[in-house]
Amino acid sequence: MLDALVDLMDAAASRCAYADARWVDRSRESASVVDGAIEAIGVSDEEGIGVRVRVDGAWGFAATQDVSRAGLEGGLRRALALAEGQPRRPGAAPLAPVGPARGSWEGPCAVDPFGVSLEEKLGLLLAADEAMAGDARIARRRASTVAERTVKAFASTDGAACEQAFTECGGAIVAVAVEGGELQVRSFPSAHDGDVAQAGWEHVRALDLPGHGARVADEAVALLSAPPCPAGPTTVVLGSEQVALQLHESIGHALELDRMLGSEAAYAGTSWVAPDDVGSLRYGSDALNVVADATLPGGLGTYGWDDEGVPARRFRLVEGGRLVATLSSRETAGATGLGGSGGAMRADGFARQPLVRMTNVSLEPGDGGTLEDLVSGVDEGLYLETNRSWSIDDRRLHFQFATELTREIRGGELGGLRRNAVYAGVTPRFWASLDAVGSAEAWRVHGLLNCGKGEPGQLAHVSHGTAPARFVGVDVRTAE
Amino acid sequence: MRSADELLDAARRGVRAAGGEALARAVGERSVTARLARSAPTQATDVERVRVEILCVRDGHTGLAVATGLDDAALAAAARRAHDVAAAAGHAGPGDFPGLPAPAVARGHDGFDAATAALDARHAGGELGAALAESERAGVELAATWTAGAVTEAVASSRGLEATDAVTDAQFKAVAGPLAGPRGYAARTAVGAGAIDVAAVAHEAIGRASSRGRPVAIGCNEVTVVLGPDAVAELLDLLGAMAFDGRAHAEGRGALSGRLGQRVAAPGISLSDSVRFPGTLPRAFDAEGVPKAPIPLIQDGVAHRVVHDVRSAARAGGGQASTGHATTPGGAVAGPGPRNLVLAGGGATNEAELAAPVERGLYVTRLWYLNPVRAKETLVTGVTREGTFLIEDGRIAGPAHEVRVTDSVLRLLSATEALTRQPRLVGTTQFYGPRFAHGVVCPALRASGFRVTAAV
Repeated sequence: MLDALVDLMDAAASRCAYADARWVDRSRESASVVDGAIEAIGVSDEEGIGVRVRVDGAWGFAATQDVSRAGLEGGLRRALALAEGQPRRPGAAPLAPVGPARGSWEGPCAVDPFGVSLEEKLGLLLAADEAMAGDARIARRRASTVAERTVKAFASTDGAACEQAFTECGGAIVAVAVEGGELQVRSFPSAHDGDVAQAGWEHVRALDLPGHGARVADEAVALLSAPPCPAGPTTVVLGSEQVALQLHESIGHALELDRMLGSEAAYAGTSWVAPDDVGSLRYGSDALNVVADATLPGGLGTYGWDDEGVPARRFRLVEGGRLVATLSSRETAGATGLGGSGGAMRADGFARQPLVRMTNVSLEPGDGGTLEDLVSGVDEGLYLETNRSWSIDDRRLHFQFATELTREIRGGELGGLRRNAVYAGVTPRFWASLDAVGSAEAWRVHGLLNCGKGEPGQLAHVSHGTAPARFVGVDVRTAE
Repeated sequence: MRSADELLDAARRGVRAAGGEALARAVGERSVTARLARSAPTQATDVERVRVEILCVRDGHTGLAVATGLDDAALAAAARRAHDVAAAAGHAGPGDFPGLPAPAVARGHDGFDAATAALDARHAGGELGAALAESERAGVELAATWTAGAVTEAVASSRGLEATDAVTDAQFKAVAGPLAGPRGYAARTAVGAGAIDVAAVAHEAIGRASSRGRPVAIGCNEVTVVLGPDAVAELLDLLGAMAFDGRAHAEGRGALSGRLGQRVAAPGISLSDSVRFPGTLPRAFDAEGVPKAPIPLIQDGVAHRVVHDVRSAARAGGGQASTGHATTPGGAVAGPGPRNLVLAGGGATNEAELAAPVERGLYVTRLWYLNPVRAKETLVTGVTREGTFLIEDGRIAGPAHEVRVTDSVLRLLSATEALTRQPRLVGTTQFYGPRFAHGVVCPALRASGFRVTAAV
């Protein structure tokens, strides 16, 4: 396929200022057991090509499932026609330069998930489901796994010709408890489709979903009768998964350069951060160090090259609380005078054009030790774990999140359960209240599959490395 | 673009390849999307694709496989995989899927516009040009998205079901104003692109952005609010998932579990799923080939019904049947959902009449990033965006700062005092995955006690 793409780019070079073509073959398998019943086992294969061209500064993108050479040429013609039909854009900055991407890259996979028998997969899910069963107040149990393999080839009129292969696996369990008008939910290892990594089936086995079933169900039931979370400003320790979501929503998206430039104003929104803020803006406390790392082992935002052929990089976004870089593409880098793209352009399958997306945006470990160490420094406060609700404005400035589980902290120790906690804040003030970040031994990578952006909509897969973290003076409320 | 006959032929061959109890659904899409930001074109996307979903049923278990080719080899491979996963599930004992629905004849509709289906992709650039001309005349920066699509679908099953459907949709939305200043929003959705006056929509957004005066801060409070149709639609779309999912309802997780027959909203609230209501985005049948029919969900403020697919109806028991609301063959884990919500209009002539009795309150054009906080209580949170105004002494007095709102949708409907007479369609999809346009037909409304929980 790569040869055909290269030939297509040879044919495109004289017809536009720039073109690229991406062949994508994506296979997916998902399985769920709900309340003891196997349901929704689904498998899909999707293959196609997306051709993108730039004519007088205007883009055109066409997607086709016809992967013959005639189909490719048809896709190119459609993309050219679309670009040529757009309003003119004189003076558009040239794309930032990049060396030609050549070669191949493959992500880690020890155990091929598509080689593991369905019997083994269903056995694991049934065991996890059974572990959650027993209490009549559990209204729903769900255990699920997902496996995905994506193979890509990419060529451009700038000389790129590369191939990549990705394997992703993950799993989750969820228990929903209901009593009267109260509903509580607990998830493991995380909410939002569970924990997914760029890895083989070994990742799912290591999650030990059945081993956590009883605890998850017990906690969901216990939350039904827990006292409401106390409201008011307090010291909060966030579990690492909630830190990941906080990071994703209030730092990752805010630092996408296309949002900062206004390119996503019609849908996803803009940013409270301006391009000129780089180098001077204080984003948070000295404890805040954030890295964009497309080389992170196991990360869902890890690759050899992005979908513009820019090689994967690791670089700081925030250093000691100060903003030092953004997430960029060749176009946004060119428009802002950066020397080169940050390599953050990715597309959801063959039928969508690439957008500036997070790579693996991670909070670097601090010196706060373990979760217990962070808690031990709190005389009175709250521990919040596992995201339940999330909302943030279109500038990524004002947010409100809720978690599944809350525990009181008293005298440096975790205490009883509290329910229905909500916390809210303003991005720079919240990160300025960051008091301590857990150390490397408490740091882990969380994968998300549901990062939405773009029109037509695209879902990106991205990971965040985080440790539990402590914040002072957080505005906590109860959703009761 | 594949024809309905080609897709039906593929669906038939998919069923044959599967053998035994099976359903195949073939869907073809052609869509174009073009975007503006800062008054310049950004992205333009032209998509053609097809997919065939094959559902095999074995011993009460389902296996679903998706092919992206119509040739026999692709269909046979998908059918084999669907069979294999259903059979593998059978090793754990019989499943609870009750079987494929019996064939039933679906009624036609007027949700297809031939001119939209035949649009040249270059048409998108012309539409953006018309919007740009409006923004240049006003000297106001514009971001916008124009999109149109045609989707053809065919379903066949081993029970003898054979049906086809074709729909089109078009949408234009505009956000006017500078990045760092007050902005205005307007949008329209329709079956046909010709029904949307792009320049007029851009003009409306520009008008909202150009209100004079500094935005006024609204403190955290309970205020009387006039919600424009876009804001109402966002709330109702979320209510659809929280309250009317028949599976969640049967499992005691739904907001109306144990509350059917009870008053849950003001007497003036009548909400239905009405697939052929004027101005909606009709379709003939659901993902399991079950014909769609209108269903009253809340009638005169009283909770009436929830919606079902085949699996959720069986779970609900009591002889319930699918209401034609499957979103995936075999039923999605997330449950069935209404896709043609209609909130009946009231007696107010327009939004100004809604605002007239308000001494001090808010006008909200749209809401953003709404998510449930406690779904069983329909408690949601979100922020206002692009077009929030202070109402004083019965009139729009000027722009207001955006706010965060945390409120129960059913409480808001219980506190609804008046609605405008004429509802309109609001598109509520962003086209993630295969194109499936849907929306809410609703009027503007006035309600008391709107819970503002933070300034934004």
